[in-house]
Amino acid sequence: MSRKKAARSKGGGAAPSAALPPAAQGSGRAGTGAGAPRGSAPAAPELPRSGGAAAGRPSLSSSGEFYDLAFKVMLVGDSGVGKTCLLVRFKDGAFLAGSFISTVGIDFRNKVLTVDGVKVKLQIWDTAGQERFRSVTHAYYRDAHALLLLYDVTNKASFDNIQAWLTEIHEYAQQDVVLMLLGNKVDSAQDRVVKREDGEKLAKEYGVPFMETSAKSGLNVELAFTAIAKELKHRSMKLPNEPKFKLHDYVKKEVRGSGCCRS
Amino acid sequence: MAADVHRKKGWEVPNGSLAPGDGQHVERSESPTPGLAQGTEPGAGQEGAMFVHTRSYEDLTSPEDGAAAVRSPEERQGEPAEPTSMEQISKDFSELSTQLTGMALDVEEEIRQSKEGKLEPSPQTTRRDSVLSGKEEEDVTMDAWRMHRKHVFVLSEAGKPVYSRYGSEEALSSTMGVMMALVSFLEAEKNAIRSIHADGYKVVFVRRSPLVLVAVARTRQSEQEIAHELLYIYYQILSLLTWTQLNHIFQQKQNYDLRRLLAGSERITDNLLDLMAHDPSFLMGAVRCLPLAASVRDAVSTSLQQAKAKSLVFSILLSGNQLVSLVRKKDQFLHPIDLHLLFNLISSSSSFREGEAWTPICLPKFNSSGFFHAHISYLEQEMDLCLLLVSTDREDFFTVSDCKRRFQERLRRRGVHHALQEALRTPFYSVAQVGIPDLRHFIYKSKSSGLFTSPEIEAPYVHEEEKERLLGLYQYLHSRAHNSSRPLKNIYFTGPRENLLAWVTSAFELYICYSPLGTKAGAISAVNKLMKWIRKEEDRLFILTPQTY
Repeated sequence: MSRKKAARSKGGGAAPSAALPPAAQGSGRAGTGAGAPRGSAPAAPELPRSGGAAAGRPSLSSSGEFYDLAFKVMLVGDSGVGKTCLLVRFKDGAFLAGSFISTVGIDFRNKVLTVDGVKVKLQIWDTAGQERFRSVTHAYYRDAHALLLLYDVTNKASFDNIQAWLTEIHEYAQQDVVLMLLGNKVDSAQDRVVKREDGEKLAKEYGVPFMETSAKSGLNVELAFTAIAKELKHRSMKLPNEPKFKLHDYVKKEVRGSGCCRS
Repeated sequence: MAADVHRKKGWEVPNGSLAPGDGQHVERSESPTPGLAQGTEPGAGQEGAMFVHTRSYEDLTSPEDGAAAVRSPEERQGEPAEPTSMEQISKDFSELSTQLTGMALDVEEEIRQSKEGKLEPSPQTTRRDSVLSGKEEEDVTMDAWRMHRKHVFVLSEAGKPVYSRYGSEEALSSTMGVMMALVSFLEAEKNAIRSIHADGYKVVFVRRSPLVLVAVARTRQSEQEIAHELLYIYYQILSLLTWTQLNHIFQQKQNYDLRRLLAGSERITDNLLDLMAHDPSFLMGAVRCLPLAASVRDAVSTSLQQAKAKSLVFSILLSGNQLVSLVRKKDQFLHPIDLHLLFNLISSSSSFREGEAWTPICLPKFNSSGFFHAHISYLEQEMDLCLLLVSTDREDFFTVSDCKRRFQERLRRRGVHHALQEALRTPFYSVAQVGIPDLRHFIYKSKSSGLFTSPEIEAPYVHEEEKERLLGLYQYLHSRAHNSSRPLKNIYFTGPRENLLAWVTSAFELYICYSPLGTKAGAISAVNKLMKWIRKEEDRLFILTPQTY
């Protein structure tokens, strides 16, 4: 967050190194300390700086789980593209069927993942797509380490708006933010109006990894978050003898198509 | 920026009417009598009120400026606020303004762009249609649509639809055009339309520039009460946008389609209308408390009080639409209307059930020019207990989130968790507890505390229509008691299916419903017994010692 924030929450500001539990300090410390070439605000595990939530017991998430690294992930996109559903599918493995419930403001949830033996906590900001909440979401862009940008394959307008979203992200988010484009609701094959190729083309144009997802069937949902977690984990704890993690390649390799013939 | 807000001076309310009256702390009398002074009636707070002092229903229906209260009721009702006083208010408010988000600026930018004719493609483009709720599909030409008991329409002064309770706004744009024409026609004559009464329908107009609100009702409510409900809808819209932003938008662009900014909020407004049809809180202009042993409530309040942060203004714990505890910043008072809007927001969305939500919210009666930021979360999944922390700082999510954690910890340490859970299991009490055989239901409001109590509605009011009919009877009595030209203190109503009695004093309001076989004398002795019972139970039914940080 802003300078103000850093100055005020002094407990948090000083904490990062202490915040890491012993396990991560042993393996990750050298890496994070030495290899942080990315500007002044790296996506390193510096959660407590802006993450006052965990200040009291830094390595314990609110659900009581221990973790080694913590990152902020934000879900953005037009209203009704399925951001909350995607999150609920990922977090609880369920699908929110029935009527549409619009998110009010932003919604904050945690989920701890294990990536290559390291416990990574994702603090997920689920944002409201509506225009009137835009100013609140803007304020949280700059803290996000990763952004999942969603559109709805059954809604052309939501796809057309992606460019505008990218402009907004460019303006408000950190330079090195991990970004991924997701075309959601591919289970509704009947109503699809945005072709997979269109999504791929747009993603390529902007150099963003892309996949099609379905919160309803669960297709690629886990993968989207895991890929993000992997990328963030690799960025923050670069082990000397480990090959560089390539998000694009990983996504290409792991992604599954919506139909049976493609994969 | 947040620091400004905390300057002592900035918090002082310039308008004297916003603070509760002094001299309430008179000795509590043992047996309540009609001569009871305000502040000593059962349920009156011992250490001052939690809410802005609303003396009567008329306070709620009058325009928001304090000056209006001085004017005669005839003049006051339904008249648009004077521009000068509104300006003054907005000036005052901006001085003590809570942090205003950049939203207005965003909109300004966008309006400017659209004037230059290059609005597209911002992600903002209105897309409400992508999420059709059932009501959108309702055909407005069908009889079924005409049969609804109460229609509510909101439109801009340019005649553009903003909200319709039933049917899609698009399909109704010509109807709304007619409504605006009616309003303008009378205004051209320097007059104002308030209502049309015809064929069992009441068409009520409320003008709150830049919006016009219209209700078409077949209910038994008075015109005044329908207007009162429309005002709630107006405040609901303000709570999403702020008065300042709303005015700014329409100053910039008269034919702005406000639905863009309100997208996704239709459910909240729908819910408010439904809630008003069956929850007496709105009618009473008061808040109902969850019945809870005083010791437990005190422990909860103290825990809440201790989990404070600099930017916190109100900490509110609620269950269903009942208040469990409220802690406020010193000298800051919440208006019951604002609290009702918060209750409605929470009950209208299940999206708060999990995780922690952080949302801008304007409390229009507190300050209609700025946003607060509310942290909303349920304490435990299976427990219907929602914590609402109202902060002035948009950036303070984590600080406030930590307050929640601290509150929960304190609650656990004090060991009241179990007792609280127990109380939540029986959120309503039965009228049988009072021990008056003929008594079926009652509503008792303590005016000085702004709280009311009421038992669960039981047989014979089992069906939803029956419950609404009972509330309708209360509404009728209430409107007679508060009729601006001829207010009544005592009303005895004999109906075919029940008898009702209303008693309104300067300290309290009491409405009782009892068996149709009961006599007037019986009703009067019941009232005395009931008042004694309420006095005996007051520390369970009310919050007598409101806390501040």
